[in-house]
Amino acid sequence: MLGFLLSRQRPPEARRINDDVIMRFDHVYEVAPGKMDLFPQQDIPAWDTLRIVASRWDHLAWMHDHWADSVLGVEELESEADDPDLDGIQASGVPSG
Amino acid sequence: MTAPPIAQSDPFLDELRSILGPDGVRADKPARWNRTRVPAPFPVHRWADYAPDVVVLPRTAQEIAGVVRLANRHGIPVVPRAGATGLNDGAVPLRRGIIVDVKRMNQIREIDLVDRTVTVGPGINMLKLNEELRKHGVMFPDDPASYPCSLVGGRIGTSGWSLIGGRYGHTRDLVISFEIVLPTGEIIRVGDGGGRKIRKSSTGYQLKHLFMGHQGTLGIVTEATLELVPRPEVEFAAFFHYPSFQAAYESTGALTKSGLATLAGVVLFDEWKLRYLRRDDEAYIPQAENVRAVVATAMYGTRDEVKPAARRLVRTARESGGTYLGDEVSQGDWAARHDRYATPLHGRLRTTGQVVPMSWHCEDAAINYSALPQVMEEWHAIADRIIDRYGIFDDWGMFFYTNAAHKPWGDYLVEIDIGIWEQKLDDVNWAGWVEAKHDIAAVALKYGGSITACHGATREGDAELAAEEMGGGFEVMKAIKRVLDPNNIMNPGKYELDTAYDPNAPSPFSGRRTGGN
Repeated sequence: MLGFLLSRQRPPEARRINDDVIMRFDHVYEVAPGKMDLFPQQDIPAWDTLRIVASRWDHLAWMHDHWADSVLGVEELESEADDPDLDGIQASGVPSG
Repeated sequence: MTAPPIAQSDPFLDELRSILGPDGVRADKPARWNRTRVPAPFPVHRWADYAPDVVVLPRTAQEIAGVVRLANRHGIPVVPRAGATGLNDGAVPLRRGIIVDVKRMNQIREIDLVDRTVTVGPGINMLKLNEELRKHGVMFPDDPASYPCSLVGGRIGTSGWSLIGGRYGHTRDLVISFEIVLPTGEIIRVGDGGGRKIRKSSTGYQLKHLFMGHQGTLGIVTEATLELVPRPEVEFAAFFHYPSFQAAYESTGALTKSGLATLAGVVLFDEWKLRYLRRDDEAYIPQAENVRAVVATAMYGTRDEVKPAARRLVRTARESGGTYLGDEVSQGDWAARHDRYATPLHGRLRTTGQVVPMSWHCEDAAINYSALPQVMEEWHAIADRIIDRYGIFDDWGMFFYTNAAHKPWGDYLVEIDIGIWEQKLDDVNWAGWVEAKHDIAAVALKYGGSITACHGATREGDAELAAEEMGGGFEVMKAIKRVLDPNNIMNPGKYELDTAYDPNAPSPFSGRRTGGN
């Protein structure tokens, strides 16, 4: 057990997504450093970024559960579109998005 | 109302303590300054203008009645404050005086599962209330953007709007009756008729609506009996994207007129909003360039109702040009819409694209569907003007939310979100913002709308237009105010109701008072 090592908490190298955005972790977008000269971005260790992202997902899941017993998605609707008792999306002949 | 500031050692404070006890009166600086502002941006160097003189924390209606009677005797303003999450200045003491903070009145007093009501104090938050109601399979479906932090008393004071009002109604529809301390200290209950739990009556004037949205100018709510609905078995949220605002606008019309009873709300995002989101929002950054406008929809109810209705809604959206954005974006974004106050905010300088910290100023209006495109164009032109001129503003785009209760068509809560670099607000650019705010409200009137759908017209800029919108009704408002509040102690300065007592009363926004120690 080595304990906490700051060197292991350095975020991965950034990948540029577009002129304004970079990404260090998948699906975690950051403003490109060149756009943050007036207010430089603070250094955030990897564990903290991942904690913030996980907390966000926890919050959204909590909010869904708060408002209803379950969440219905279009993907579920479409997977059951052949149900003859329902007015199926595929049966409508309208192409899906 | 120009009562002198109350000193820390003022005998008046001893009189307050005799009513509320020593822990119910706070004259210290942190207690007062923490209750000076609301979330809407305001120049920091002017906070002293509207600092209250003293804060009281009552536990009962009788204590509030005692405070109000005392204030009448001394001619001191009284301003009720619940969550103070409003995006206008309803809870800001424009004439200083006493803040009555109702947060200690947060009890659930009765849950009636037979007649489907819950009776609460004004200091309870809807999220906390619903955590308790869930145990009984019911909920109170009032869902503002401040859902986790606003309180029932403030919802009544502003006549709030609910994100899911198309299915369940808004605050005025969900509050059955309430108890209120009048400006002269009497305690009465108002509803639809006299019964505490009666939703529809033809007896007498509809006093509930008179006191709904009064912004603290007609008293202080001390108890409310609220509607209960079955806890939804299922939530369905679907977001669709479009290649243009016009396509999304037409699809919105088709969706809202679909007649689906479980449809709780439809939200249209304009092209400015999409540009803003693509710049700074995790969900929209990777979206393709042809994603130019979005329509969000949500349904609640039993699974047997929602499932077939959702199929039809998806079909309607696609037939009207929409492309589904996917479950992850739809469900994630919808869940975040119950809490728009938790967003860390920054904006961009137009000249350099540099990121700077910005606060959120949300301008709202109620506009008919037919006028949405014109209002959108004119509001963005106003935003453009101040961005170019002052350099501390940013246009975060517009939302159009369904606004009618129980029927999601006809008129919309329209909002434009303006980022303001609040630290840079000086007298010059604040005056520029106030002028822009006035112009935004004037556009709403020009198109036959209302200058506010949910915030209340109590802020410098649009407050001056309330009388114009109300027309002859404003004279009735002033007459009511004079009768119910003969000494003008309840939240003076709001809605320009000071002119009910003196046609030449000075504006609360032009006069400065200093000495906010």
